[in-house]
Amino acid sequence: MTFNDRIFGVLMIVLAVAYGWAATQFPEPFGGAEAVGPDTFPKLLAIVLAISSLYLIVRPDPDNAWPWSRTGIELIIAVVVLIFYAMLLQPLGFIISTTLAVGTLCWRMGARPLNAYMTGAVSAVVVYFLFSFALDLALPLGLLSFLEMN
Amino acid sequence: METLGYLMDGFGVALQPHNLMFALLGAFLGTLIGALPGLGPANGVAILIPLAFSLGLAPETALIMLTSVYAGAMYGGRISSILLNIPGDEPAMMTCLDGYPMAQKGKASEALAISAVASFIGSLIATIGLILLAPLLANFALTFGPAEYFALFLLAFATLGGITGKNPMKTVVAASIGLMIATVGIDNTGVQRYTFGVLELFEGVDFIIAIVGLFAISELLFFIEERAGGGKEKMKVNKLSLSWKDIRDILPTSFRGGVLGFVAGVLPGAGASLGSFISYTLEKRVLGKKGYFGQGDPRGVAAPEAGNNAASSGALVPMLTLGVPGSGTTAVLLALLISLNITPGPLMFTQNADIVWGVIAALLIGNFLLLILNIPLVGIFVKLLSVPPMYLLPIVTMIAFVGIYSISNTIFDLYFMVAFGVGGYVLRKLEIPLVPVILGLLLGPEMEKNLRHAMDISDGDWMILWDSGLAIGLWVFAGLGLILPYIVGPLLRRGMKGATPTSGSPESD
Repeated sequence: MTFNDRIFGVLMIVLAVAYGWAATQFPEPFGGAEAVGPDTFPKLLAIVLAISSLYLIVRPDPDNAWPWSRTGIELIIAVVVLIFYAMLLQPLGFIISTTLAVGTLCWRMGARPLNAYMTGAVSAVVVYFLFSFALDLALPLGLLSFLEMN
Repeated sequence: METLGYLMDGFGVALQPHNLMFALLGAFLGTLIGALPGLGPANGVAILIPLAFSLGLAPETALIMLTSVYAGAMYGGRISSILLNIPGDEPAMMTCLDGYPMAQKGKASEALAISAVASFIGSLIATIGLILLAPLLANFALTFGPAEYFALFLLAFATLGGITGKNPMKTVVAASIGLMIATVGIDNTGVQRYTFGVLELFEGVDFIIAIVGLFAISELLFFIEERAGGGKEKMKVNKLSLSWKDIRDILPTSFRGGVLGFVAGVLPGAGASLGSFISYTLEKRVLGKKGYFGQGDPRGVAAPEAGNNAASSGALVPMLTLGVPGSGTTAVLLALLISLNITPGPLMFTQNADIVWGVIAALLIGNFLLLILNIPLVGIFVKLLSVPPMYLLPIVTMIAFVGIYSISNTIFDLYFMVAFGVGGYVLRKLEIPLVPVILGLLLGPEMEKNLRHAMDISDGDWMILWDSGLAIGLWVFAGLGLILPYIVGPLLRRGMKGATPTSGSPESD
């Protein structure tokens, strides 16, 4: 099967056209046009990307299988965990959100739940203290901010 | 003898206690990064960059630390090759061929010690080569005009896939994507490009975020997909019994491997993987029937290790003198230079002489530190190797989050990093290499600047780009870099495949 490269090639040509078209819409820089304006380099890139993507469509490599089955769901879970980690880092604070995120990832990768969340908690606390005391860097405490000294 | 004077100044910088301390820390972390499968050198160095910033290190200290990490990673790669039969990083692939059989015969610690000595010799030769060659090349590069630089950047992209690369067109696609991302933001004439009015994009895409996302996050996803969380069974490490004779036996091999590796490292398109491959094959030829390669010959361990360590120091030559890296990890080191506001290239040797020579001296010192770390203390690394990836990778991911968050304390950057990670996963699935994307991000602004300068000089005549003999030469080599893989690539690849299993680590050396 050679769908991957073909589909990717088509997408990249679409990108190249959109990117190149956007370059023609740039306003003229203050002080008048020069030999090479802000649009020249992007236009070159659009042409190069279009040609190389065309090659992918014409001479595609064999596909690597996509993980459609359960593994695919695990991957989506991992990405969702990462997004939630970023989202909750400030409201929940570093220690709690890290415990949850690292714990969940370890667990989904095959560790026993207890071990997984223990790893998360220990690593969170260690990194937190390393950062706030040794490196003098403030990570958000969030819900645990009542523990804050002074 | 000007060089010697600079080098002495360099030692003055590198021997300052705090620099020495960070070199040691870097060497330790580097060995660890190299040893752990799933944490390649490019990935490891990338994650440490934001941490170096948040430590508020002086530029030379930061650079010394991360160069030590880089050197250490090359030492560390061999540990998992020998004990697990999985290369810790791609260049350590050839070390599996004889290293693992040695370990199977109960000679794991001899294999580790021999490879450490060979690594040391290889690195030492290459560092001396670097000291001799770099100033010459930097002087030569001073004659480059903008047109030559533009062609040089093209050459860098064209040869990045290496002559063993599978599909050079994919390198071109990857490089274009990287360069396109680099054009996002306000350009130097004040025009907004591809910002879509998003405030966070006005200053462009921070390449550190992109690099960490592309490497660290995509690696996590790959491990999850391969369900390799449990790790592999490890060989037992016996008590070391190594005589001077054993070391003497591998010396000629290590010297040959070191010289070859250095050449492979300096040349564009070769790199550490090819360096270790050539050293190994040559040694097999030279020794012929006298060796028992593939069945645990110590020289089969020494040759590729000397080769890949020499190549990785050699790869610093184009990175430091021309500002053009030839591999993933040197690209990441270039990212560090740019973010420290040091313009890489020939001028660095005059404008930032203390930094450059400090780093070179640190490489020499680092080698001795690494030898010490890697012979008596190898047990520590072996212990850490048994940490299964299912615990390791989430923690590494968390450290990547902390590092990126500590740069600007914004959540937007974290989302961006995750997005790059998912993108990196998709690209790797399609076998589109990530290193050209990163190089595009790094070199994009310089490349465009040089194009503009060249055009300003010629008043808009495109012919200036191939007007000088040097520029034409660079264009020709760039062309060869794209065409040769189709001709010699299949042959070389077949040779390198051999008996070794390929790991899921990103293409980096």
